[in-house]
Amino acid sequence: MMLACLAIALLVFVTVYSAIVSFRQKPGESAAPSWIFPDGTRRPARIFVGIASLMLLIGLGTWLSINARNSSPRSFRFLIPEGYSGWVRVEFEVPGASILPAEAGQTVVKVPYSGLLRTSSQEQYGWAKDDYLFYSSDRVRTLPDFGSGRLIWGKINAEESGSSGKRKYEEFFVGTEQQFKDQAEQAKPKATPKDSRSPATTP
Amino acid sequence: MLPFSLYFVTGVVTCFHVYSLLSFVVYGVPLNPLELVALMGSFCLLIAAYVSLFRPRAAGRLALLACLAMWCFYAPAIAQFVRARIRKPLAAQLIVPPTGATTHTVSRPESARF
Repeated sequence: MMLACLAIALLVFVTVYSAIVSFRQKPGESAAPSWIFPDGTRRPARIFVGIASLMLLIGLGTWLSINARNSSPRSFRFLIPEGYSGWVRVEFEVPGASILPAEAGQTVVKVPYSGLLRTSSQEQYGWAKDDYLFYSSDRVRTLPDFGSGRLIWGKINAEESGSSGKRKYEEFFVGTEQQFKDQAEQAKPKATPKDSRSPATTP
Repeated sequence: MLPFSLYFVTGVVTCFHVYSLLSFVVYGVPLNPLELVALMGSFCLLIAAYVSLFRPRAAGRLALLACLAMWCFYAPAIAQFVRARIRKPLAAQLIVPPTGATTHTVSRPESARF
């Protein structure tokens, strides 16, 4: 909110200033150049701005490259038991739980048959392309997560507060579109005549 | 140096603000094309900052165009914000936040019948 207010305030100021600069009389005619409306900048100032801009760009580039090298892997590789269908839930920052291993630039999330995994690792944020794979004792195969034959649905990242404090988690459904719709229908609370009564009509 | 500083700071601040709004696309927020127009305006303002070192009048015109492009996004956003503030939902009008409390728990009064 603070940034928005600052941006709007500066924008108002610059709009007025640039309008005055654009439409005021030429300096040669009547208005003399002043520090508010200068008629160009001196050569040393230009050189200073050029060097400062170059240093800023180099610094920004260096910071971004160092940051990219030191950052932890952001994408997940979800390993789901072969034939599993239902909701998968991964809870993050759970004290005492094991950390998630990283392989080839990806964090490996091996989901047990229960569909619930707790880890002490932190939730990853930002752009990422997660991979979903079915695993069994002898092979690993990729699950489609987009297109008509996709098997991954309803992925969410959320945070809930409870008696044990705040908990971050990620959930998604594994199964066909029909299975996803069926479980969504089953999860809907059925309206009873008692629920549908409005308080105004009750005695 | 004043026009340069003014255009440059405004360009950076608005660019960062609009970029932070655009980044919500990652979480499924639909993309507003006016945000892209405003981002383009911010870049134009940065260009105007460097042009102002050589040709202040031309830079002023470029900056004015950039500002108008940015107002395309900010003006409707401000209008919507003000409208939302004026037209509070009924439920929001009824709630009086207790002083000093950080979390609110809504409980059913015992006299109510459902």
